[in-house]
Amino acid sequence: MTGGLSEFHEELRAVARKIVGRPPSALGGLEPQILDWGALADAGLLGLEVPEGLGGAGATFAEVAVVLHELGRAPGVGPYLGSTVLATAALLLSDPGPARDELLAELAVGTKMATLVLDARTTRWDGPTFSVAPTANGATVAGRAEWVLDAAGADRLLCPAQGASGPVLVEVANTGDGLVVEDRPLADGTRRVGSVAAEGSPVLAGWPLPPGAVDDLVDLAATAVACDSLGLMEAMLEATVAFAKVRHQFGRPIGSFQAVQHACADMLVTVEVSRALVAQAVDAVASDTPAEERRASVSRAKSHVGAAAVEVCGKAVQLHGGIGYTWESGIHAYLKRATLNRALFGSPIEHRRRLVRALPGSPPC
Amino acid sequence: MSSRDVTAFRSEVRRWCAEHVPADWRVRQTRASDEAYVEFQRWWFQELRHAGYAVPHWPKAWGGGMSTAEQVALYQELAAHDAPRPTLAFVAVHHAAATLLEAGSEEQQLRHLPAILDGEIWAQGFSEPEAGSDLANLRTRAARHGDVYVVNGQKLWASGAQHADWCLLLARTDPDAPKRHGISYLLMDMRSPGIDVRPVRQATGESEFCEIFLEDVEIPVANRVGPEHEGWAVAQATLNAERGMTVLELAERLWQAGFRWLLELCSIPGPGGSRPIDDMVVVDHLARFESQLVALRAMCATTVQRHDEGRSGPADASVVKLFYSELLQRMTDFGAEIAGVAGHARTDKPRSSGWESGAWVLDFIGSWEWTIPGGTSEIQRTIIAERGLGLPREPARQDR
Repeated sequence: MTGGLSEFHEELRAVARKIVGRPPSALGGLEPQILDWGALADAGLLGLEVPEGLGGAGATFAEVAVVLHELGRAPGVGPYLGSTVLATAALLLSDPGPARDELLAELAVGTKMATLVLDARTTRWDGPTFSVAPTANGATVAGRAEWVLDAAGADRLLCPAQGASGPVLVEVANTGDGLVVEDRPLADGTRRVGSVAAEGSPVLAGWPLPPGAVDDLVDLAATAVACDSLGLMEAMLEATVAFAKVRHQFGRPIGSFQAVQHACADMLVTVEVSRALVAQAVDAVASDTPAEERRASVSRAKSHVGAAAVEVCGKAVQLHGGIGYTWESGIHAYLKRATLNRALFGSPIEHRRRLVRALPGSPPC
Repeated sequence: MSSRDVTAFRSEVRRWCAEHVPADWRVRQTRASDEAYVEFQRWWFQELRHAGYAVPHWPKAWGGGMSTAEQVALYQELAAHDAPRPTLAFVAVHHAAATLLEAGSEEQQLRHLPAILDGEIWAQGFSEPEAGSDLANLRTRAARHGDVYVVNGQKLWASGAQHADWCLLLARTDPDAPKRHGISYLLMDMRSPGIDVRPVRQATGESEFCEIFLEDVEIPVANRVGPEHEGWAVAQATLNAERGMTVLELAERLWQAGFRWLLELCSIPGPGGSRPIDDMVVVDHLARFESQLVALRAMCATTVQRHDEGRSGPADASVVKLFYSELLQRMTDFGAEIAGVAGHARTDKPRSSGWESGAWVLDFIGSWEWTIPGGTSEIQRTIIAERGLGLPREPARQDR
């Protein structure tokens, strides 16, 4: 990384941290915060990848990753992943035109929210679960998808659908016209998922989906989640170390006990290993890395970090002792989000299987 | 150095390896006698030296001067071509050289650095029976009599001491000072009268480590490095020298040879005819190792780069050492499990090889040589916690 880019990332990090806030400590407590969407928009963090001509920053996923990392450090409720990351990326893969450009511009300034209608259990796309039908009054779409991120709050839903001459991405308004979006409350209170069912919903716009585009978006989503998990574990390590310095038992700080010291040291090693793998995956997704190599990088990061974040957050609960198990401490929120992250867009087991498939001499599976 | 230059250098190393790495060295070094091992090591070190690859990390004036990027390329290519490791020269080119360059007098540098290039072998006499992890507890006594120190005591775990010409020695010159004070750093000629070296047979069956008994050994005061009683600070330079690039080199080998052999092992049909790699549990383990190796390599590169830029964190070296050594242990353990009963019949690990050789059971047993020496994994965790994370020290520990 060049010095200039690294400096830019530091600035971006500072701006994002100011808005999303600081991670909690067991001393301060935390309820999930609502992300300040207006502040994110004003700071330009909703349009990082949107072209400059449409009011965005014309940056890359490497910059988005910096914000995702901060959102992991201090998770708040808001459709950053669904709208700012996935819907934006899906539109950027589509052919430019007035409808696409208008929506991108609105996403960048936060006047509209959207999401990509993609089942969050996907590791490899099996084709569309929606189909487009022509009618006298224009095209409509029908179909159903489960476990769609940030569906309920979205103004626009972007559905991969079967068109007359191949897969297309269609834009639908979330206004109830033949469309039912159901929120599915989760153990984790910071992410929202829902089901999307369409029956003759009017298509506002549509674009052909290039071959492999949805799989690329799945890789992007998995990497975004890995960035988030890295932020979660980093924040939990810091909170645990801070707590271990001030919490006294047996007349001394618990951080002076070797059992606690060594547990914290292992957490640090785990964070550093994760950081190395996330950096490679972000680099692979943000640059023109050949698909095979990129997929391997993504699978390494998603499998390792997905599991590692649960381990580190669980250790944070343990080392905080009784207070760590209280609702008020907020530590549980990290453990829940880490556990959900682990499941999104491919579990560690699935990604490890996918990774080995790319190695020489391995069986087809 | 530009990336184009590094690419050119990499090609040069590739060509050199193709021409100079003997195809049959593993066979020749399998069940090799001590004499055959020493002779091979001396020859290989001179081969590396003539190519300019023996001491890439030394300053240019002394025969080194390679950029960090070139060193990384060098170690990657040596690993990729499965070159022998110059193990006998290890203490000389790393620990001894780092000490001399950091704290040695000009005369000491002139006397020893060129000699090391010519093949002078060094051992390290730091640990003692009562001074392992608690190194500052060492008791070997160096009493000053005019121009000489008279040394009495016992050293332990001195790797390669039976072949050494010289020894880096820590001895107590002021028995009344607090633990870390009153220690001096001496260079001991192994031909001096009063030295008795006894190899210790290790868990693997090899006898690489030695006990050194010292009885009225005379060491000239001129062979002291740094001020009298202040050898502890000098020793830190020596101890720090074994990290960074060394782990990077070993990580390359674990990645290149270690993982390749593991994959090959998993592709051999077992007694029932099926291959281990057809089993999803095996696949899962392989993917974990592969990811962890990729991470280790990236972490080593970052550590070396930060060191280069003067931005090293206080626990950087401990993080990579701990992660490497435990990954080596997990991988060789897995190799031993897959190799099964037949793996136990491989009792012929070649000398001059890396920590992984494909003799999985012996490799696994040998992996404790990385989790114990050079600061045990427990010591590394304490360093990471206290220096890296700033956690409070244990109150009962008296080592200042």
